[in-house]
Amino acid sequence: MQFKLPFNKKQPPSVEEAPKEKENLVRVAIATDHFIQSIKNATNNPADLIIKTIPPNLTLFYIDKLVDNQTLNNDIIANLQNKPHDTPNSIEAALSVPEVVISSLLKEAIDGIVNGSVVIHVGGFPQVLLVNIANRESRALAAPENESQVIGTQVGFNESLSTNISVIRRYIVCPDLCNEKLKIGTRTNTSVALLYMNGIANNQMVNTLRQRITDLHLDELLDSAVLSEMIDDNSLSVFPQMLLTERPDRFCDAILDGKIGIIVDGSSLAIICPQSFTEFFQSQEDQNLRWQIATFVRLLRLAAFFLSVYLTPFYVAALTFHYEVIPQAFLVPLSESRALVPFPPIFEALLLEFIIELLREAGARLPTKIGQTIGIVGGIVIGTAAVQAGITSNILLIIIALSALASFTSPSYMMGNVIRLIRFPIIILAGFWGFYGIMLAFCFILIHLLRQTSLGAPYLSPFYPPRMKEMRDSIIRMPIPLTAKRPALTRAKDKNKFEPEPVKPEKS
Amino acid sequence: MKNPIQLSPKEMINAYMLFFVVHGAQVGVGIQGFQRIIYQEARQDAWISVLLAGIATHIVAFCMIKTLEIYGSNDLYGIQQDIYGKWMGNFLNAMYVFYCFVAFFSVLRNYIEVIQAWIFPSIGTWFLSATLLIIIIYAFTGGLRVIVGVSFFSVILSLWIIPMLAFPLKYSSVDSLFPILENDIRSILKGAHSMTFTIIGFEILNVFYPFVKDKKNIRKPVHLGLLFSTFIYLSVMLVSITYYSEGKLVKTIWATLTLFSFISFPFIERFEFVAVCFWMLIIIPNLCLYLWAAYRGVIRLVNIRGTTFVWIFSCFVFIATLIIQTRTQINTINTIFGHTAFYVVFVYPILLWLLAILKKNFRLKKVQKNEQT
Repeated sequence: MQFKLPFNKKQPPSVEEAPKEKENLVRVAIATDHFIQSIKNATNNPADLIIKTIPPNLTLFYIDKLVDNQTLNNDIIANLQNKPHDTPNSIEAALSVPEVVISSLLKEAIDGIVNGSVVIHVGGFPQVLLVNIANRESRALAAPENESQVIGTQVGFNESLSTNISVIRRYIVCPDLCNEKLKIGTRTNTSVALLYMNGIANNQMVNTLRQRITDLHLDELLDSAVLSEMIDDNSLSVFPQMLLTERPDRFCDAILDGKIGIIVDGSSLAIICPQSFTEFFQSQEDQNLRWQIATFVRLLRLAAFFLSVYLTPFYVAALTFHYEVIPQAFLVPLSESRALVPFPPIFEALLLEFIIELLREAGARLPTKIGQTIGIVGGIVIGTAAVQAGITSNILLIIIALSALASFTSPSYMMGNVIRLIRFPIIILAGFWGFYGIMLAFCFILIHLLRQTSLGAPYLSPFYPPRMKEMRDSIIRMPIPLTAKRPALTRAKDKNKFEPEPVKPEKS
Repeated sequence: MKNPIQLSPKEMINAYMLFFVVHGAQVGVGIQGFQRIIYQEARQDAWISVLLAGIATHIVAFCMIKTLEIYGSNDLYGIQQDIYGKWMGNFLNAMYVFYCFVAFFSVLRNYIEVIQAWIFPSIGTWFLSATLLIIIIYAFTGGLRVIVGVSFFSVILSLWIIPMLAFPLKYSSVDSLFPILENDIRSILKGAHSMTFTIIGFEILNVFYPFVKDKKNIRKPVHLGLLFSTFIYLSVMLVSITYYSEGKLVKTIWATLTLFSFISFPFIERFEFVAVCFWMLIIIPNLCLYLWAAYRGVIRLVNIRGTTFVWIFSCFVFIATLIIQTRTQINTINTIFGHTAFYVVFVYPILLWLLAILKKNFRLKKVQKNEQT
């Protein structure tokens, strides 16, 4: 049932391929002048390309700031300047740098320069040395800003692939942690790491995921969010089927459950799959809290989801068609607050939802300081003014604010967006066909969710197919000794996290 | 034994899901107003009729499973082709597909009527019919996994309606049940016969059987599902008899929905408005399963893709809902369908079981004869 977007399709072999292959096999020139010219041509003679000659016959090529200057000075130039060297092999022995490759292909030399290697050409030899001393600028590890939690680690991923992997290696100190490197994007050449636990993760799933990534024919890949949309089971669905997280602890927890993680170089969000619908409403903090509190919070989030999606439509439907369902005591305040409103409920609700979305979008785009001001101005001034001007009722204002608030309780921002979006069609259906329209939407969403899969695993797991034991860690969270099994969703090879023991409430 | 159905484990369903399939297929539009029809026949002993009908379902289900077990992995359509031969078997298969069609249509038309009678008197039949059909098509094209999933959620998510029956209990009197067995056995049996339209649906088992993964454990979930349905019908019937006065129940068409209209919470009144709309979730498994059963039959007759089939089927149903418009027409269809369904669901499976045993013995003897010669 996998839907393939047109850009997933295999591209027809282009005409240029034949000369390109020849280009790949061009050898390094023996004469130094000739070699300098060919490098300049191939890299379009950039301003930051530095060519340094060390007499008698050595030439160094590198791009400024892409290599580590200290290593370059101390370990390469210092070693080369004082002694005469004859062959590339003797130079390799003289360098005190671990990553040195000897190559005779021009293409490899150019790729090396672009990737942050120093290329050393020895006059009179058809070979060059590629010394990898790349230095990628990246910010320091900081607290995750968008997935904050009170109890738990306060470290988030940053944009450097190697830093992120080292953070994960610090959490999972185990040789079974597999790390596969793939390259995507014909122009960006982005490194993508596929991480999973050997002996836990299902091989078939790993193969499927690897296949999906390598099948992509992209020009550019700048962020993991794009990748996750492209390798989703159903790219057309509004519901995300893979989780994006910036928390290393959540990432490690998922990997230890038998899931597969993807980290994209240059992106601070990691992808986790397969992921079930329920897991989008779980936060890593739930594991750190006492189980009673975690259960309460999870149920609260579930209630918030339903409230957020169905409360406004319910109001619209009740006021448009079904006055009978409004209790008598509630009828008076409701009609009083709506007495001055000239619009039908559906228009009133859509207008307010629109304003709330405007506030949210403005708050997200503006600089932090102005964003707060706009929030206050929008929330208080527009809200109060709208009621006093009589274009909306007090009660609807409460309902809309409540459902907006509820939509933000979803720990996954992607899922919060979905909740806010699917409200609009339901409000319209409720405005035209009352409860019938709401129910139509409910059934449609239910069937839609039933049809989805995440990496081939059922999206509504553990509710459908029903797995009683797994429901212990779904919308509720039972004590940790009772949740010894890994989720069946991942079809893990090792099904138990630990030996399930009988619960002893009081340890002797 | 010809035409057995070969399936990969991925397409198959666990046996315990049959609880939800059987129960989901049984409970539908019938429960909204079955009290009046049975009460007309059996008066205050109507609950005995319900009980008898429930027992009958268990017996028939037993026979069905026995028949299916003889054939290993085959459905009703394959069994009919085997027993009656190609032509007669295919004719009966076509009849069974038609039966599924009428059942589908009848559920859909009754639900549309309820919506028009209770909530939107002026809304077009074509609109309700089209929207419901689109939902059904969407579920059907997802495959059996989605259909069973819908049945599962339909049962689970509508469990909260059962405690609502406690509200009318406040106003009911047990005296209405007495004297027990005042009516003769004939009228009680007649009442049980009138239960047919409400209680059928479990015949889906005939088509579903090959898709069950562990066929040995099939009995428990099936009988539990039937038991649960009988329990619900029985409790609704008992509440209705004790709640309504004698003359009132005969005049109330949708007695269950009328029961709901007295329920009120601090935040919501006139509960039946919610209930009628929520009933959509209860009838969707009905529709999906009948549609799927029809499809299984049709692919034995002609080579057709699921998507093509479902659109053609829906077009026919859509046209039919437009033709059948008045309450009298719908009532006639319900009655005729009920009578036919009695023979299709309660009589025919027993007959088929006997035929299957005969055929099996005949075949065994033939084999033995061949071995001797």
